[in-house]
Amino acid sequence: MPVLARLFEAGGIATVVVTNMPFWAERVGVPRTLAVEFPFGHPLGAAHDRQMQRRVILAALDLLERATAPGMIQDFPEPWPGTVAEGRRASEPRIPAPITAQMGRHIGKFLRGMRRSG
Amino acid sequence: MKVDSFRFASPLIKRYYQLSRVKKELPIPFSPLGKPLSQCRLSLVTTGGLYHLGHDRPFDQERERREPAWGDPSYRAIPTDVDLKEIAVSHLHIHPDDPTADPNILLPVDRMKELVAEGRVGSLAAKAYSFMGYQGFPADHSGWKEKYGPEVLAALRADRVDAVLLTSA
Repeated sequence: MPVLARLFEAGGIATVVVTNMPFWAERVGVPRTLAVEFPFGHPLGAAHDRQMQRRVILAALDLLERATAPGMIQDFPEPWPGTVAEGRRASEPRIPAPITAQMGRHIGKFLRGMRRSG
Repeated sequence: MKVDSFRFASPLIKRYYQLSRVKKELPIPFSPLGKPLSQCRLSLVTTGGLYHLGHDRPFDQERERREPAWGDPSYRAIPTDVDLKEIAVSHLHIHPDDPTADPNILLPVDRMKELVAEGRVGSLAAKAYSFMGYQGFPADHSGWKEKYGPEVLAALRADRVDAVLLTSA
């Protein structure tokens, strides 16, 4: 997502990213980020909660207008209306993604690559 | 409230992200809005893996099952006047139920139409764009950078879009 925001922005289009992963936005560098502490797959809030979705979107649009320099990350102040366990149940796939089973092997490859590049 | 990126993440994802070394590319591109949002044309982009049932193919899950370290880099253009009942989720890394029941949590076409009607936003572009966020492990964004991202940028510019709201799954 940071890749796409940066590409559009470089092409002259203003962007705002709504994400639950500001950690990544901070590391990579994103033009404008609204950070939400919501489960994966729910960046704009709970399904069918029109008012909540609206509050998130209005916060993102305010940031779009207000930001005067790139890299701004703003935290959306509302917590998720549910427990962590409920949030994870609503966001994690029923069947783990195919990579999960191979993660050990790939993490090894990934770490070796990091050592080479580091 | 300080947002914790890992509140809902599995320990494996947290570990992978924290171990990843990324060099921040500076400067970060920046195009300020040149006019009030009430005069702007806005489009929507998501990495939630949404697609238009009966019109688009889903993302390539078969290849991802065969090659789990690969993720489909292509995108789907979705008309913003779509019937949301025809939006489906094709993403092996998220639970599809909530975004299927209400796609507005990823692609907020209903909310944006309301904000256009209220005058907060000038207009909503005719098309929104959906990518599938998993780009392999370790992630390979070359498809987005070299082909699909520039294609969507060209389409946005051709439609005279001023600003984009992006949501990540």
